[in-house]
Amino acid sequence: MSALQEKARELLASAAVQVVIGYGRGSGGAARAVFIREATKAGDLVFDGTCLQNLAVYLMKPEVRKLGKAALVVRPATLRTILQLAAENQIAENSLLALVPSAEEIVLLATFAAIEAHVAALDSDLSTAEKAELQRFTALGLDERRRFWEEQFSRCLKCYACRAACPLCYCTRCTVECNQPQWIPVPAHDLGNLEWNVMRAMHLAGRCVNCGDCSRACPVGIPLYLLNQKLVSDVFTGFNSRSGISARSDNALSTFKPNDPEDFIR
Amino acid sequence: MPDFEPKIVAFVCNWCTYAGADLTGTSRMKYSPQVAIIRFPCTGRIDFMLLLKAFASGADGIIVSGCHPNDCHYSSGNFHARRRWIVFRGLLDFLGIDVRRVQFSWVSAAEGAKWAQLVNETAEHIRGLGPFTGYQRLRGLGVE
Amino acid sequence: MARIGVFICHCGENISATVDVMKVAAEAAKIPGVAHSVEYKYMCSDPGQQLVKNAIREKGLTGVVVAACSPRMHEPTFRRACAEAGLNPFLCEMANIREHCSWVHEKGDATTDKAIDIVRTLVAKVKKNKALQPIKVPVTKVAMVIGGGIAGIQASLDIANAGHQVILVEKEPSIGGHMSQLSETFPTLDCSQCILTPRMVEVAQHLNITLFSYAELESLDGFIGNFKARIRKKARSLDEKLCTGCGLCTQKCPSRRIPSEFDAGLGLRPAIYVPFPQAVPNKPVIDREHCTYYRTGKCRLCEKVCPTQAIRFDQQDEIVEADVGAVVLATGFDIKHGDFFPEYGYGKYRDVIDGLQFERLASASGPTLGEIRRPSDGRVPETVVFVACAGSRDPAKGIEYCSKICCMYTAKHAMLYKHKVHHGKPYVFYMDIRAGGKMYEEFVRRAMEEDGVQYVRGRVSRIFERGGKLVVKGVDTLLAARPLEIEADLVVLATAGIAQPGAEELAQKLHVSYDAHKFYAEAHPKLRPVETNTAGIFLAGACQAPKDIPESVAQASGAAAKVAALFSQSELVREPLIAVVDRQAPPVYSSCVGCFLCQSACPYQAIEKEEIRGRDGQLLKTVAKVNPGLCQGCGTCVAFCRTKSIDIQGFSHEQVHAEVLALLNRGERDA
Repeated sequence: MSALQEKARELLASAAVQVVIGYGRGSGGAARAVFIREATKAGDLVFDGTCLQNLAVYLMKPEVRKLGKAALVVRPATLRTILQLAAENQIAENSLLALVPSAEEIVLLATFAAIEAHVAALDSDLSTAEKAELQRFTALGLDERRRFWEEQFSRCLKCYACRAACPLCYCTRCTVECNQPQWIPVPAHDLGNLEWNVMRAMHLAGRCVNCGDCSRACPVGIPLYLLNQKLVSDVFTGFNSRSGISARSDNALSTFKPNDPEDFIR
Repeated sequence: MPDFEPKIVAFVCNWCTYAGADLTGTSRMKYSPQVAIIRFPCTGRIDFMLLLKAFASGADGIIVSGCHPNDCHYSSGNFHARRRWIVFRGLLDFLGIDVRRVQFSWVSAAEGAKWAQLVNETAEHIRGLGPFTGYQRLRGLGVE
Repeated sequence: MARIGVFICHCGENISATVDVMKVAAEAAKIPGVAHSVEYKYMCSDPGQQLVKNAIREKGLTGVVVAACSPRMHEPTFRRACAEAGLNPFLCEMANIREHCSWVHEKGDATTDKAIDIVRTLVAKVKKNKALQPIKVPVTKVAMVIGGGIAGIQASLDIANAGHQVILVEKEPSIGGHMSQLSETFPTLDCSQCILTPRMVEVAQHLNITLFSYAELESLDGFIGNFKARIRKKARSLDEKLCTGCGLCTQKCPSRRIPSEFDAGLGLRPAIYVPFPQAVPNKPVIDREHCTYYRTGKCRLCEKVCPTQAIRFDQQDEIVEADVGAVVLATGFDIKHGDFFPEYGYGKYRDVIDGLQFERLASASGPTLGEIRRPSDGRVPETVVFVACAGSRDPAKGIEYCSKICCMYTAKHAMLYKHKVHHGKPYVFYMDIRAGGKMYEEFVRRAMEEDGVQYVRGRVSRIFERGGKLVVKGVDTLLAARPLEIEADLVVLATAGIAQPGAEELAQKLHVSYDAHKFYAEAHPKLRPVETNTAGIFLAGACQAPKDIPESVAQASGAAAKVAALFSQSELVREPLIAVVDRQAPPVYSSCVGCFLCQSACPYQAIEKEEIRGRDGQLLKTVAKVNPGLCQGCGTCVAFCRTKSIDIQGFSHEQVHAEVLALLNRGERDA
């Protein structure tokens, strides 16, 4: 039994939590989310390089919440999601345990302060490769960028898988569903697709923790992560603000500094 | 396109720029009739979605204008708006949408002349850029 | 189905000279939903307004667009006319075809077309308008004034004299503030106590004023007209009702060598003390930190000598709750102390003192009974150097601003010194002399020309002791930048005026904003100088920025006038153009997901948390709620809210969305 399985078994057996949300093996051996509610099933848990999903998305589901206190197997982005959800008043202190798998032992984080401390020791910046890709893309001409995105968005099906995969898209009524007024056209045509994706990116500005699940979920492979990373980068360079590093932080777009740059305003 | 007259929508706050544009009128200064104003209580109220809607509805250019920093009637609405525009502008540019078509400005209630100049120069500028067919094409109107 | 009336004004020829108003009327009539479209020479005239009223009644209009001048001009006029005809005034909109069209464009088709566009835009908007009712907020006609210096005293008296109840909260044992410490006041040199103490007595005796001295605000909840204040009455260690203020206890107290706060540390006081003889209330307080009984458990001498048995060693702090409708913040200022000036030896040399200390030396009630004697050896100083801008206007020290009062009080100090020590030599080092104010420049001139005060334009670089003298090294920048060294017996530093310690904490309790220096922020630097951004909380005096007595008093009266205006009605009536968070049927209750990121976007702290509970009291959902008493209607939260759960009445999503579409789609999409 792995250390992770052992820890899960122990937590369930002692009733410290009612459910352990982690990764298991699905059809074809792919990693998928599992909800372990009995100590005897702890052996179903796995953790390896294929376990990428941000499981914090389940914390916002009412049917998962009903199961009781959860222990969540986390990746770095998951921890940042938890903090961001806390900052957005979506999860309460002491409502969950975070299980950080590592080679030696399982680190158990029980409080937001502990998660904050753990996250502080991680590098929350975009990776060098991510920065380089952004740089490369930004260096393209305006028309090239436009053509790129037109081609990408022309494939968008408006299936909203990106939204479903995103742990921060927890709104009960998304603006795309507003029809008074109809902000986003219903059919999946070029204009509606662009507006939908611009809107989603803007709504995640200063909130997205760059977990990448939207891109992984997209059935037509639109590189949505580029949009999010662009905003992560702009929000950090412009306002020195980073999401998901504190359980008590204001949003970059609902705060301001009197000396924010305004070289584009005449 | 020698006959092209751009359609420009101006999103302005009630307290500074709307009043500044009133002053342009009371001072009888002339400017291009290609711009029409929509009044908001504050630049803080101006939703980025409305800018998208304006382009989608055929605007060739957009002016967004409010009170100068520290002059906001609501003290900080314009500061919040400024942050929103910084991010939104960066995103549009990233998507290959020409941000030169959105002119942000601070025009106070005393700057009637600045308003006239802003409209004229923006109209001239948009005239130079031509109709925003790249965007209007998206809604399938077949402008091209 | 909408039945909109469009009324196009010629404005004499102001509109019709460049806009074809007939065409506008004809085109407007074609817009779907327009039931009536007419033009008229002067729509704002009585017959013009009558046209609107008649049409509302006769055609059963559901909305009105007046295409005329700016709404900033005549919107109230036409809304009133609509209301008179029985149409909700918020169903009337103005299409500005004068300031934004006819006056700024040449005569021609383009101008007429633009006028039509504007009308179509406003027709589209007004179709989405909703009937709104004015917001009424009840007002508790009790004011709380925080701070009992001259500003707080003035505000209290003005509000009380207007017939309203006032609760005055002062943290020190007596009201009076810094003004009570001053000797004479510029520019008239009348004695500060002589003009202040009658006001203090008036406060004590006023039937409408309840004074809580030695008390501090614990918390403030609520909003304009409806605040709930909790005030901590600190334990004086005596029963105020029994105490007659006879003073026996203060005379007998054996701990007598405590530096007196009132004398800025230059005099001494006992452990049970009244700060100064004219204190209001004239009741002592036991300083528990220095009292022998509290330190050692023995003494209780005051208790023994008290003829009314008023001493209460076991007294506890008491929390008093009060409902108040308005708050005036008048917490005053402090001056920079301590090792802020190591180069001037302040705090190191006893004869380098600050301005307040000089006030006490010059005061007839001070530790030297008004004789100028230096603190170290009590000698009368032959040479005194006054240093203006000690800390102020010094970005390197972090205080960029001018403390405003120092130029004047330094001139006064030099003058008072010269009046008391005729053969003395006063010098003033200054950067600029700022003497704007009635009789101020004349006053400084008098110091220079009649009293022979030597003004040296330049800064002091260092002060050090040499042979019993304080050597002041500076530079005279006016006379060929010559370095200067003056051997002084006493140096008075006009140290920077700063915010009160604790100003930030208090601001946070009250949710008022403050600047980088912790001075409280006015709602508008020009037009709303006595209001804060929190409705119902007003500012008076130096808590906003350093200011002198006349300015503080003027602002206090201004704040009092604002309070009296607020209290002139039992209900506060406000335009309903405010933000509202949607409410829906269960199980959704509201599309708001309660992220509360909007809270920091609101400049007015108007967004509150509302807990929606089921019948059994179980918490179902926590959602945002806009306090209608606080919201000013900027709409910043509306544009920020991702779920579009907040909307603003009068500029709603539907209204502005319809405007954008109508403006750009000539003939299309009109529904």
